[in-house]
Amino acid sequence: MAKQYDVLFRLLLLGDSGVGKTCLLCRFTDNEFHPSHISTIGVDFKMKTLEIDGIKVRIQIWDTAGQERYQTITKQYYRRAQGIFLVYDITSERSFQHIMKWASDVDEYAPEKVQKILVGNKSDEEQKRQVATEQGNKLAKAYGMDFFETSAFTNQNITESFTRLAELVLQANKKDLDLLGGSINDEFSLADLEEQEGLCNAGDNTRKSCWC
Amino acid sequence: MDQSVAIQETLTTEENCVIAVECVSLLDGVKNSRLLGLVHHNHEHAIFIYGHRRMPITGDDVTLDDILPISYDFSVVEVSSPDELAVLGADTRVRVTYLAEELELRLPFGSQARLFLSEVNRAWSDACEQYPEVKPQFDWLAKYRKVSKGARSLKKSLPSLTSRSSVMSRSKRSEKSRADDKQEQKGRDGPQESQDRSRGDVRDELIRPTQPMLSNKDQMLGMPQFGLRDNLIKCELLKNEDVYTYIQNYSFFLGTYNVNGQNAQESLSPWLGSTSNPPDFYLVGFQELDLSKEAFLFNDTPKEPEWMLAVYKGLHPDAKYALVKLVRLVGIMLLMYVKAEHAAHISEVEAECVGTGVMGRMGNKGAVALRFRFHNSDICVVNSHLAAHTEEFERRNQDFKDICRRMQFEQQDPALPPLTIMKHNVVLWLGDLNYRISDLDAEHVKDLIAKKDFESLYNHDQLKRQMDEETVFVGFTEGEIDFQPTYKYDTGSDQWDTSEKCRVPAWCDRILWRGKNVKQHHYKSHMSLKSSDHKPVSCLLEIGIKMVNEESYKRKFEEIVRYIDRLENDCIPSVSVSQSEFHFKDVKFMENQVQTVTVCNEGLVPCQFEFIQKLDEPAYCKPWLTAIPAKGFLAQGASVDIDLEVFVNHSTAPGLNSGQQQLEDILILHLERGKDYFISITGSYLPSCFGSSLSTLCLLRAPIQDMNLDTIRDLTVKSKSQASDSEPQDIPKEIRMMVDHLFRYAKKQEDLFQQPGLRTEFQEIRDCLDTGSLDTLPGSNHSVAEALLLFLEALPEPVVPFSFYQRCIESCSDSSQCRQIVSALPQCHKNVFNNLTAFIQELLKHSAHNRLDINILASVFAGLLLRSPTKQDLVEKRKAREFFQHFLVLSPSDGGLHNELCG
Repeated sequence: MAKQYDVLFRLLLLGDSGVGKTCLLCRFTDNEFHPSHISTIGVDFKMKTLEIDGIKVRIQIWDTAGQERYQTITKQYYRRAQGIFLVYDITSERSFQHIMKWASDVDEYAPEKVQKILVGNKSDEEQKRQVATEQGNKLAKAYGMDFFETSAFTNQNITESFTRLAELVLQANKKDLDLLGGSINDEFSLADLEEQEGLCNAGDNTRKSCWC
Repeated sequence: MDQSVAIQETLTTEENCVIAVECVSLLDGVKNSRLLGLVHHNHEHAIFIYGHRRMPITGDDVTLDDILPISYDFSVVEVSSPDELAVLGADTRVRVTYLAEELELRLPFGSQARLFLSEVNRAWSDACEQYPEVKPQFDWLAKYRKVSKGARSLKKSLPSLTSRSSVMSRSKRSEKSRADDKQEQKGRDGPQESQDRSRGDVRDELIRPTQPMLSNKDQMLGMPQFGLRDNLIKCELLKNEDVYTYIQNYSFFLGTYNVNGQNAQESLSPWLGSTSNPPDFYLVGFQELDLSKEAFLFNDTPKEPEWMLAVYKGLHPDAKYALVKLVRLVGIMLLMYVKAEHAAHISEVEAECVGTGVMGRMGNKGAVALRFRFHNSDICVVNSHLAAHTEEFERRNQDFKDICRRMQFEQQDPALPPLTIMKHNVVLWLGDLNYRISDLDAEHVKDLIAKKDFESLYNHDQLKRQMDEETVFVGFTEGEIDFQPTYKYDTGSDQWDTSEKCRVPAWCDRILWRGKNVKQHHYKSHMSLKSSDHKPVSCLLEIGIKMVNEESYKRKFEEIVRYIDRLENDCIPSVSVSQSEFHFKDVKFMENQVQTVTVCNEGLVPCQFEFIQKLDEPAYCKPWLTAIPAKGFLAQGASVDIDLEVFVNHSTAPGLNSGQQQLEDILILHLERGKDYFISITGSYLPSCFGSSLSTLCLLRAPIQDMNLDTIRDLTVKSKSQASDSEPQDIPKEIRMMVDHLFRYAKKQEDLFQQPGLRTEFQEIRDCLDTGSLDTLPGSNHSVAEALLLFLEALPEPVVPFSFYQRCIESCSDSSQCRQIVSALPQCHKNVFNNLTAFIQELLKHSAHNRLDINILASVFAGLLLRSPTKQDLVEKRKAREFFQHFLVLSPSDGGLHNELCG
């Protein structure tokens, strides 16, 4: 019965070629890191299950080709996303500048309710840094987004950033789910509730209180 | 075949059938062929479901069964699972729900079904996007609903629907019953028949919910459901139960008492309160609670609260107990009490009854049962009253089997099969099983009892014997009996039956168990209770319950989820593409180039691939490109060579010649339920006179390939604006070359313009014209003739420009008007027109040799010189020919043309 309450979200990784979108995805889903860069030519995805606020959230993460010539095509995938990672490389000023362009494409092609967060990847390469953390913070603030500096290499902030975006998407869709909340509660038995609790990734206990 | 035509015929002009697909509705094993149409009215959509007698060709072949409006509370979910992927070409199974209606359909495999589903999904997501700002009204459906005799008629045609919703309501009902035991009690007032009745009632109430059903939750987010996945997790959790559970003992007090219809006057505490410590659970069963006719017929008895109270008062005084459940079938009643502190760990409580009395159904004999989950253990308790009489032991065996077979507990997930008794970790079975002592007379039995030789007596016990023969209670254990038979006494005494029948004493009242980690502490009868002709029996068990270690459960669960995520990710179809960039060098007009991309299925599952359209584009690729095959299947490890063919024909050449378009495209290779791959195609096109405009060519004095692209583009722009600084040629040198060549060498050629040329020779001719490499055209007369025709066909603006077409057709019967029109053509077009007509007239002079006549030549050329901007129908074709024939009739004024050609 529990399966009735699953939610499934599509999250999209966007950003210039080479900023590490595929590596972020591999680290998050498989906990693996491959240092060599192979350009994604197409659109790839992987699944991951999280639990947020007692809700099992399955996320489908889409990894897109970052190369410029594919951008007209990748735009058609924005439409189905509920959450978007705007990723740049902290060692590449250029990739940071392009975030503006990515963000405006998102505004144009993604659904209005789409949630975005800004991710500055490769935070382990401090000596090559070209974009200060403060710059990232400022840009994120200007866009009203959350901001994470991540490293797929050291696994820094990977789970945090993915979980955060999933949370934001969940909150944004709260209304739809709340609409059903009444009928869900009717059906929940004591045991179901117990079963639902503490299943997975409940690292953040403080959040448990809301919803349902 | 497009069945939307048939559907459209049933609709008014305000509605439009977007797409139709045939399907099979399959439920309860009944297959019904149906036709689905997605019908559109303003901004609203609905699925119309039609029945059809035969192949639906016209509106008469179909009858409207039902309508499902596509609004926010509609959903269509593909019922798919990874293992089904393995079946190539399998039907697409979808579950459509609207409010409480649910229906399962099988769509034939293929792009039509895909297209249909994607259209439906689009309609649905549109509806959702607008919601709640725009609430769909669906007023337009009213007129159709009348036709379909009300929307509910679907239930008749699809019996499955009702059965599905009844399953839903049943699970709902069990939830309710948990909340209100008392009410449940009244609701479940009889065997089988009345149960069904109460289910029916609930169903109706469910059919009109006011808010979206909970199954919509996933659709509200527009996502597919993965039912299999949760079952996989459950399965894995069960497999690894040992990892996260440990055993803790709890005491269960089981009692059984056949009260022979007596009132509850005596205190039951000598029986129920006899243990030194308060047990954790009480499971108390009664038989013959009420022997009255009323109880039998109406299953209603004042004895129920009476005995319930007696039990409650008789429980061990040192603990607080809560009633978990009471279930009764006529005189068979089972009560479950639990220490208050354990109540929170009890879940999934279900009660059922099975009558095995008269006709194998009535409730005077049979069983009631409870199932529940305590921590992580599933426990089932059965209280049964089996068939009476010494010789009827086989009948008792049969009752046992019937109870085991027919006792079924609904599971919370209606998709799961009902649970039977034996599916539980622990089964506790008590009751008046009615097994007697065989082969001994009453005196002998009483003698053995007096000697307390229960062992000898036990060897004559029917239940023992039947169990030894494994005909009944297989897998059950019973503790050693060291108490005297509990039947039959004179009421109010400890005297053996003194009635006429003088029954042989027997151990009718028994308690057995099945399952691991069960230890018996006592098994005894309670002689001090005297109000019945039976004595009550009790049994204290210590049962090891599986407790969940939350920490390790969480760890295990996460591990399983990770494992299944990984499994799922591994099962996402995936291929390797040999090359993602292709460059086609020096692509020429009418000369195809092929390169091959090898796609190899390196994933763990078979996959279906297809090149898909890009946003806002009409096809998956540009018109000069084709991929063969454009879709297909790949088994695991299999690979396919896809030919990417570039071919520039008359319709694509103009844009490429003028430099307005380039050979550039990106193909999206899409895997069903999988990834997308981009394949980029680039190429360099060598401009050609074929597909260039007459005006541009008139301005080109050198061969086209000697010019650079910018010059050509500039000239194209210039020729359009009609402003040229250099003097243009009268007619393009390419036409002059071809016509002169034919005039010189092919006047008398038999079947000129009738026989095709050679492809290779055409290419040489094209190259010669485009590069100016030779003074004389190569190839046979037929090849040159065909080249001329191809040239005319490829002209972006025909010799008689599109803007003149209509006038030409309208004036086709009037020779002088036709000539007037031609004289008004732009200069270079007029020149070419006159040049060609003169040439054709010349050919006609030699018809004796070339066997050409005016009809043949007019047919060949009229369609090329006078092209319609749209599609030409037969009448127009005839008129175009008529128009052109005026110019082929020799007139004295045409005499000079011969000179022009020769000069």
